[in-house]
Amino acid sequence: MPNPLGRLWSSVAFRLALNYGALVVVTMAVILTLFYLQTVGVLQSRIDQHIVVTGQRLLYTAQREGVDQLARDIQDMLRDGMNADTEIYLLLDPAGAKRVGNVLPMPLPPGAASQVAEQRSVRDGRVTDARLRAYLLADGSRLIVGSDMQHQREIERLIVRAIGWGALVALFMTVGGALVFRQELDKRIGGIRRTIVGIEAGDLSQRIPISSQEDEFARLNREINGMLDRLEQLMDGVRHVSNTIAHNLRTPLTRILLGLRAAEARPDADRGDALRLAARDVEELSVIFDKLLGIAEVESGARRQGFLPVPLEQLAGEMVEFYEPVAEEQGARIALWVQPGSAAPGDRDLLAGALANLLDNALKYGGADARVSVRAFMEAGQAHLVVQDDGPGVAAADLERIGTRFFRAHPARDELPGFGLGLASVCAVVRLHGGQIRFEDAAPGLRVSIVLPAAQ
Amino acid sequence: MYRCLIIEDDPQNARYIADGLRELGYFASVAADGVEGLSRAMAEPWDVIVLDRMLPHGVDGLSIVATLRGLGKLTPVLGLSALAAIDERVKGLKAGCDDYLTKPFGFSELAARVAALVRRAQPGEVQQEIVVADLRLNLLARSAERGGAALQLQPREFRLLAYLMSHAGQVVTRTMLLEAVWDYRFDPNTNVIDVHISRLRNKVDRFHPSPLIHTVRGVGYALSAEPPDGAR
Repeated sequence: MPNPLGRLWSSVAFRLALNYGALVVVTMAVILTLFYLQTVGVLQSRIDQHIVVTGQRLLYTAQREGVDQLARDIQDMLRDGMNADTEIYLLLDPAGAKRVGNVLPMPLPPGAASQVAEQRSVRDGRVTDARLRAYLLADGSRLIVGSDMQHQREIERLIVRAIGWGALVALFMTVGGALVFRQELDKRIGGIRRTIVGIEAGDLSQRIPISSQEDEFARLNREINGMLDRLEQLMDGVRHVSNTIAHNLRTPLTRILLGLRAAEARPDADRGDALRLAARDVEELSVIFDKLLGIAEVESGARRQGFLPVPLEQLAGEMVEFYEPVAEEQGARIALWVQPGSAAPGDRDLLAGALANLLDNALKYGGADARVSVRAFMEAGQAHLVVQDDGPGVAAADLERIGTRFFRAHPARDELPGFGLGLASVCAVVRLHGGQIRFEDAAPGLRVSIVLPAAQ
Repeated sequence: MYRCLIIEDDPQNARYIADGLRELGYFASVAADGVEGLSRAMAEPWDVIVLDRMLPHGVDGLSIVATLRGLGKLTPVLGLSALAAIDERVKGLKAGCDDYLTKPFGFSELAARVAALVRRAQPGEVQQEIVVADLRLNLLARSAERGGAALQLQPREFRLLAYLMSHAGQVVTRTMLLEAVWDYRFDPNTNVIDVHISRLRNKVDRFHPSPLIHTVRGVGYALSAEPPDGAR
């Protein structure tokens, strides 16, 4: 930045403030110019009018009482002290010599015989601007009536000077304001910039400090911070997912590898079992991948365009019927309670898959003779879908972590099949529908409540 | 040997499908873009076409199906797409696809559906009765009997058996069963369908020396007089 002016100019705040200031100055100039022209114009036309009226009167005197009387009247007027500062009278005899008056004879401006005109004159030995009107009298004498404009000019100068000073002060205030404005804005934006630089450098935990003032910047900063929170969460999620994926895949891969290595050493006839085991493990891996891809697919939001009203009562009924044989087989029971007319816009298959996942979990963790209940109802304009079991439930500390990929709340019961992906997929489906999912302790058991925004 | 045309621009995916189908004994050929795909689909005889929805140069796979159907070609088409939206699937079926599969999919799922399409295209009369070995199913009377003894089936069990029987000798996946019998499309946890099948088995195969419903490892089920390859 070699040029400080250029740097100033490159500041948007400075330019904005300056431009705004310039606008104010121009507006002021226009207003003052109008004011000036109006004031000066009115004053001058008053003076001109006065000259004409006085001239008419004197002309009348000359006609009625003669030029000598006119000369005397003029003498009187010059002596009476009224308007002594401004009045101008001059009576010239037909030869052009001064008979009476307070100015020296001067060349008459063109047009002075028909209207008031401006002419530099010498009044009482002092050069001054004057407005003059000349009349030709019957005997060839010339009467000149006028007004000294010195006062008027002084007022004009005063106004101009005031306007000038005003403009100058306004200009300084504008520039100064622009500088202050720039500094203030720089201070506010500086916080955002520093945070962003920090984040760019890889520190996602940086946040913009929020001032106590509740202004546009505070709101913007809060929104940016909210976005950063979400980003950090997502980044953590991605990191967690890739870590857990790597971790979860390493175990079966190692198992497969060990099995195959061991099989290599064995005679051909004995390899069949090892190969079948390896194939089963690979199949399992492929299932994990399919499920992960499925979740990713749901999370990408591509399905949202196909949303239609889904009757939840029917969906819940059919899914419960679908799981009935599973429940019966383990001596469990599923109670269904649906409110007619429960519906939410969504993807029927995804919602069914989610409910199936919840039923699967409820039956799996509820164990033998589990009592599972499924409820669908409307409340406060939202559709609720609640699945509850009476199993061991989930520890309060773990409730928050349910739904993250590969998280299993019952590692001790790992003999139960599953990959820790079912609820992650349910959560993804609920998020896609713009709904909320809550995991609560049903004492005993787990209650999963899905709340979906209902159709308008 | 069934002839399968794969219209898919992603070379890896195309090879994955083609190699898999060849292993199953199909003649499989790949067309990498829509124009080539359409001309080959018209010029050569095919038993089934696997068609990707998104093709290069902005060609929509559906326009190819629509053109084929418009020209009177009735070759069964399995649509593939990453667009999982329900209306996309409906659009695909409307345009003339016979079945629709969304990515990601397992190869066994694709193979089972391709096989089902190939069989479906074989000339056959509209059936009122399906017979496999000594198992008879009357679709009109909605009754079933095995070895002369009537089977007491729930409506769902009947639909399940009917689907298995109309695909006798073919492997059907759990997803296909869920779709055909319950009309839902999601990836069911294996054991749910297994329980339904085992109930059906109880009614169909119990007390009979030769079971008709077979489990095919890692894929699904098949109903046939002889256990198919890979059945246990």
